[in-house]
Amino acid sequence: MNSIWAEIGAVVRKEALTEMRARNGIATSALFALVTVVAIALATFNRTIDKDMASGLLWVAILFAAVITLPRVMVTEEEQGTADLLRMLARPEAVYWGKCIFNGCQIMAASFILSFLFFGFTHVGLESPGLFALSVFGGSMGLAGSATMCGALVARAANRAMLAGAIAVPLLLPLVALGVSGMRVAIGPIEADFVYDAGVRAVIGLDCYGIATLAIGVLIFPFAWKS
Amino acid sequence: MEKLIKYLKWLFALAAAAVTLWSFTVPDAAGFQQPEFARVFFWHFPCPILGTILGLTTGWFSYKYLATHDIAWDVRAEAAVELTTIFWLVTMASGILFSELEWGTWWQWDPRQTSFLLVLLIYFAYFALRGSIGDETRKASHSAAYYLAALGPTLFLIYVFPRLHQIAESSLHPTQSIMQGQIKGEYAYIILATLALASILSAWLYRLRVKAGLLLLEEPSYGNLETNRSDTAHPPVVRPIRVPDESRE
Repeated sequence: MNSIWAEIGAVVRKEALTEMRARNGIATSALFALVTVVAIALATFNRTIDKDMASGLLWVAILFAAVITLPRVMVTEEEQGTADLLRMLARPEAVYWGKCIFNGCQIMAASFILSFLFFGFTHVGLESPGLFALSVFGGSMGLAGSATMCGALVARAANRAMLAGAIAVPLLLPLVALGVSGMRVAIGPIEADFVYDAGVRAVIGLDCYGIATLAIGVLIFPFAWKS
Repeated sequence: MEKLIKYLKWLFALAAAAVTLWSFTVPDAAGFQQPEFARVFFWHFPCPILGTILGLTTGWFSYKYLATHDIAWDVRAEAAVELTTIFWLVTMASGILFSELEWGTWWQWDPRQTSFLLVLLIYFAYFALRGSIGDETRKASHSAAYYLAALGPTLFLIYVFPRLHQIAESSLHPTQSIMQGQIKGEYAYIILATLALASILSAWLYRLRVKAGLLLLEEPSYGNLETNRSDTAHPPVVRPIRVPDESRE
C-alpha cells in the first residue's frame, strides 16, 4: 500500500494535469477576477475608495471567486464518473488533502492576481505587504478547506452548482470578517502601533481559523466522501 | 397515563399564564428608552441559551449518526435542528423588535445582529442541503457532516465574534449582562421561569417530532418505483423516452 504522502502527491499531480489540460479553473478565476475588478473600477469611476471599503470589496471578490471555482474539483469527479475510481485508489484523507492543496494554490494565485488588478485599477495603496500576504495565505487555507468540503457534500445533490455557493458562503463569512480586518490595516494608512497590532491579531485569527477549518474538514470529509 | 399527561398540559398552560402575568407586575426596568417594553428581554434572553443547548445536542446527534449509521440519530438531529432554528428565529425577531423600541430602527447592521443573521443563514443552508439530496442515507450523512463543519463557525459567530475588541466597541448590544450582575431580583427569577417553561415546551415538541420522524421511517418504501424529486440523473445514465410512432397515424 502506498504511503499517504504518495497518495496526496498523486492527487495533487492529477488535479494539476487535469487543470493544465482543460484550464477551466484558472481561466474562470482569472476571468472572474478581471470582470470583478473592472466592475468595481467602473462603479467607483472618478471617486476615491476609502480603505474600509476597499478591503471589504477585495475580500468579497476573493470569496466569490473561491465559491465559483473551488467546489468544481469535487463536483467534476462525480459528473465525469471518476469519483469511484478515486475512492478505490486513494484514502479519503489523501483525496481531501490533495484537493485542498490544489484548491489552496489555485485560490492563492487567483487572490494575488485579483489584488494586483484591484490595486492597479482602483489606485488604492498597500502599506503592509507582509500583512497582506499573510491575510491572503490564511484566507486561502480556510477557503480551500471549506469549499472542498462543501463541494464533496453537494457533488451528488440536485442543483449542485447553486447549492455549493449557498452552503459554503455562510461558513466562510466569519473568515471574510477576519480577512477584512487584517486587510484594512494592510492597506493602511497605519496611524499608530496599536492599529498595526490589531491587524496582526486579525491575521493571526484568520490563519488559526484556516488551520481549524482544514483540521475539522479532514475529520468530516471521509463521511461525505464514502457515503 | 393519558390522564396524567392531560393534567400536566393544563399545569403547563397555567404556569405559562402565571409567568406572563408576573412579568407584567414587576416594575419597569431602569435605563431604557421605553422601560415598559424592556419585557421583550424575558423572551430574548432564554431563547439563545436554549438554542445553544439544542445546537450542541444536534452536534452530538450528528456525530452519533456518523459513528453508528443508525438513522434514528438523524431523526433526532433533524428534530433538534428544527427546534434550534425556531429559537434562533425567536431571538432574532425579539431582537429586531427591541432594536426598534430602544434604538429607533428595526435593523441597523449592528455586529451582533449581523452575526446572528449569518448563523441563521448557516441553518437555512443546512435545510437547503437536506432538501437537495434524495437518498436518505446520503442525506443523513451529508447533513451530519455539514452540521459538524458548521458548528465551529456558528459558535464563533455567536460567542467569539461579537466579543472581539474592535467589534464590541462598535456594537450597541451589551455582551456582559450576566458577568456584571446586571440581571438581578425579580427580573432574574422571571427569566429563569421563562427558561424553564421554554425548556419544557421544547422537550415536549422534540419528543413529538422524533416520534413522528421514526413513524415516517416505518412507512413502506416503493424503492425505484417512486419518483425522487431531489436527485438528478447521474450523467452517464440515459433515461428512455417515448418517441411517437408515426406509422400508426
